[in-house]
Amino acid sequence: MKEPAIVFKDFSFQYRVQHEPTLHDINLTIYKGEKVLILGSSGSGKSTLANCINGLIPFSHHGTMTGSVTVMGQETRESSIYGLSKTVGTVLQDSDAQFVGLSVAEDIAFAMENEAKPRREMVPIVEEHAATVGMSDFLGAVPFNLSGGQKQKVAIAGVLGSNVNILIFDEPLAALDPQMGNTAVELIDDLARDKERTIIIIEHRLEDVLHRNVDRIVLMADGRIAADMTPDELLKSDLLQKHGIREPLYVTAMKYAGCELEGTENLGDINTIRFTDEAKGKLMRFFTEESEPMPENTADEVVGFDHVTYEYDAGKPVVRDASFSIKRGERIAVIGKNGAGKSTAAKLICGVARPKSGTVRIDGQDAKSLSIKEIGERVGYVMQNPNQMIIKDTIKKEVEYALTIREMPQDTIREKATAALNACSLYSMRNWPVDTVSYGQKKRITVASILVLEPDVLILDEPSAGQDYKSYTEIMKFINVLNREYGKTILFITHDMHLALENTERAIVFSDGEVIADDKVFAVLANDDIISRANLKQTSLYTLAKHLCLEPEQVTRRFIAHEREASKA
Amino acid sequence: MNNKLVINFVPGPTPVHKLAGSTKMLIFLLFTAAIIATFDIRVIAALMIVPIIAIISMRPNYKPLIVLLSVMLVTTGVIGSIMLLIVSPDTGFSHVGGSTIIWQASEKLFITRETLWYLLVTMTKRVASFLTVMMFALATTPSEFASGLAFLHMPYKVCTIVSLAYRTIPDIASKFIDIRNSMQMRGVELSKKASVGKRLKATGQLLIPLIMSSFGRVESIANAMDLRGYGRLKTRTWYAEHELTNLDKILRIAAIFFGAAILFYIVYFRIINPYPAEMWCPFIAKEDIIAKSQFEDIFFLKWFNK
Amino acid sequence: MEIKKKNVGAMLVGEWNTKTIVAVAIGAALFGVLMCYGGIPIFTNTSLTTAMIIPVIVGALFGPLPAMVCCGVGNVIADLIGGWGLWFDWSVGNAVMAFCVGLLPVYGANIKEGIFTAKHAVIYAVCCILGNMVAFGVITPIFSALFYGSDLNLTFLQALAATLGNTLVLVVVGIPILLVLANRYKSRTNLKEDKGDQY
Repeated sequence: MKEPAIVFKDFSFQYRVQHEPTLHDINLTIYKGEKVLILGSSGSGKSTLANCINGLIPFSHHGTMTGSVTVMGQETRESSIYGLSKTVGTVLQDSDAQFVGLSVAEDIAFAMENEAKPRREMVPIVEEHAATVGMSDFLGAVPFNLSGGQKQKVAIAGVLGSNVNILIFDEPLAALDPQMGNTAVELIDDLARDKERTIIIIEHRLEDVLHRNVDRIVLMADGRIAADMTPDELLKSDLLQKHGIREPLYVTAMKYAGCELEGTENLGDINTIRFTDEAKGKLMRFFTEESEPMPENTADEVVGFDHVTYEYDAGKPVVRDASFSIKRGERIAVIGKNGAGKSTAAKLICGVARPKSGTVRIDGQDAKSLSIKEIGERVGYVMQNPNQMIIKDTIKKEVEYALTIREMPQDTIREKATAALNACSLYSMRNWPVDTVSYGQKKRITVASILVLEPDVLILDEPSAGQDYKSYTEIMKFINVLNREYGKTILFITHDMHLALENTERAIVFSDGEVIADDKVFAVLANDDIISRANLKQTSLYTLAKHLCLEPEQVTRRFIAHEREASKA
Repeated sequence: MNNKLVINFVPGPTPVHKLAGSTKMLIFLLFTAAIIATFDIRVIAALMIVPIIAIISMRPNYKPLIVLLSVMLVTTGVIGSIMLLIVSPDTGFSHVGGSTIIWQASEKLFITRETLWYLLVTMTKRVASFLTVMMFALATTPSEFASGLAFLHMPYKVCTIVSLAYRTIPDIASKFIDIRNSMQMRGVELSKKASVGKRLKATGQLLIPLIMSSFGRVESIANAMDLRGYGRLKTRTWYAEHELTNLDKILRIAAIFFGAAILFYIVYFRIINPYPAEMWCPFIAKEDIIAKSQFEDIFFLKWFNK
Repeated sequence: MEIKKKNVGAMLVGEWNTKTIVAVAIGAALFGVLMCYGGIPIFTNTSLTTAMIIPVIVGALFGPLPAMVCCGVGNVIADLIGGWGLWFDWSVGNAVMAFCVGLLPVYGANIKEGIFTAKHAVIYAVCCILGNMVAFGVITPIFSALFYGSDLNLTFLQALAATLGNTLVLVVVGIPILLVLANRYKSRTNLKEDKGDQY
């Protein structure tokens, strides 16, 4: 008989500031030792559900609760946030915010410090927890010298109390690059080996979580449980598409090939998947079909790098001898892991950083002779976090800002701003305060505020970070319109392989400051050597190709070609 | 980032670095109190010995220290002295107890021997104070600073504010640079080319996203702290406050004597048997000192007297 | 939302929960950084510094005591990272000034609910001037003279420059920021899409 760890019974919750309940009629039992994924797009109520388990609801976020939630037999509303923290450990989405200590050891000790545990008792426990997550060698390290993945490990170690048998991971992959994401999923899986532990993962990135098996997936939609089933069952259903969750790439490929998913064994795990003979045949036929070759871009160059080297500290170049040429109207992915030099390359294009040697060309002109402001009129840079760009209080004023400081006449400002607002589908919201819109819409505001200057080149820094599939698709659709209809050259700085695959033709790969590849996107993504050198992650198409004994490059190319045809139609 | 700040985030290797945060805090406060308590240049000079030895023993990077010291000497020393000579050239009278003019340009512009001595004493005091702070700043990591404050029975919430503030500074610095770059790309002139007014306005606008995105994280940080039981108990321990070493114990005993000495100095030399002038001066015999209150010199009080 | 009548004492102290602590810490860090790098020097020991807007924001959102702690800690941090020595006289002065600037909720300017009228702006400006005069005209000179033997005339001149400089920043930059903040917090109902030509 399985012992229940968390039980929701006829549970509803409504935040005090909202008019509608965020959670409706939740009936859910999670058993001891289970590993459960709670899946849902943003606004589906999945984080609210988690906060009802760890006690942030009702003790920190106030509202009305009906029904009951029990954690290890204890009704949460009769406990406290501290009482619950003894059994439930929560690793928050933003591992940087969770890192409150000034060193790794201090942060792991934070909960014990709060219990006023004497230092000599803390030391061995800190060492033990650090060893559990593999951070023993970094006890004295300071937060700003750690990578996102390391910070997350520290966050996990920091919640591993002696009785913490329930671990909640709130969007653990959001801030990590692909390789680190894999490591995180593996670490979570290792923690789940201990059958005393119950693991709850909250995510919308299904394919990345399925890198390791989960027992059960609870799909949330509009505050209700839309599905509660095994990964295989869920993937075979049409619920993912219906609720705006991206399905794994190989499943999409199977659908393109017209396969029946029903008979496939282990559909949830690409490594152990077993196709029916019929499905295999269809896949083989699909992938060996010849696709139309992609047209060569023969336009003139807009941005060029000629043996560019740049260093912050003498002797340690962040960009080393980089050369490439970007043509007008291209869509390019600049990929590489964090710290590989891709953001510095963007800064060199924008003139915020100037090369130590070599030349950066903008429209064939040496950028040395151009000021940051002048480059800004040709190259627009959109930062990753829109909150770091927005200055004015209404959308209209924000979009007009760059024109206002150039002291343009009122008519011109109005005309240009209207065009940019329309291009970003923001015109009808132009008088709204910027704070009232969603993250995805804020991102569109920042793009519009750059577009008013009519730059030829748009650089977007991690456009998919921190967004669910729905707002991501929305933004990409809009960027692609800018490319197709306004002829803008688009540069994505990203480590998201899906994004590169779906939205670009060419990829420039950085590793340790060097350009290690500059080729068609399918060729780059199918190249095992480049992917591992750049510390990136193979897409599941690669593994699929291996199963079918086909060339990964061919599989990837066929997939992209089919997708582009489909989107045109 | 790290090497631009004087304070260290990573603990250093020397014996002074390895002292407990509470010991460092105690010594720092005692030296600060002693320097504040005395205006006798001989005592101040003696008080500089320990900080100098401590700083040398930590083998610091001297370049930023020298830069900082020279900036301080130029701004408060040179500029401050010139200002003082213009504003109240006879200030030495009330502090030292005499007025011997050694150079005079006009009725309102002159230099007295006593004012020069006064400048020397206040400057020495500032340098001593600077050295004490440097000794502390070089030796202490922010978490030791916070645990040192806890040792002084500061409410632990204040200690958390200190350590969290330090935790945030590097984030703010990198965010600042990002925002500044993005503003410049949108065409905002932030270099010296723009006028002071324009720059102030532009910087003001730059601060909005900086402040908004910094304060935007309050909730998630507070949640992370609540979820790990912050603020539940009336007390809290500090991982950074390690067990006392032998050197710590010796220094603490020394500190008790030092504290007693400071107390004695204040009670005996400043209250019971004070020197007739605020500052001792080798040029003026004790008997020749003329007492004069500083308040007689305050410019706006003179207007009332007329 | 329910409106509770809070007595003035509670308003002065503010509510010290974890959120306030984090906000004060972030405020102190911003204050420290801006003190060091966000100013234009105008006189010895004084500059037109943008750090002054931090107590405005912390005061507006959390009340006077949080603003005071924020500036006191922030000033110590500024002194330590700037490395020019700890000057308690100015730290205490800044803390007192911040307390007066942060009085906003006490006279009814509730930024969180979008309440900031012209009347509040005038009271705010008066508080800024008075606060600066008390802080730098009385408190800092007393400590300066007592601790470091500073000349009172020079100190008063510095106080005058500090008062003028700070008040300038507090009023010229502070009031627009308060307006922006109040606007941002104002109730966000009645937002309708507007497809009309009226730009």
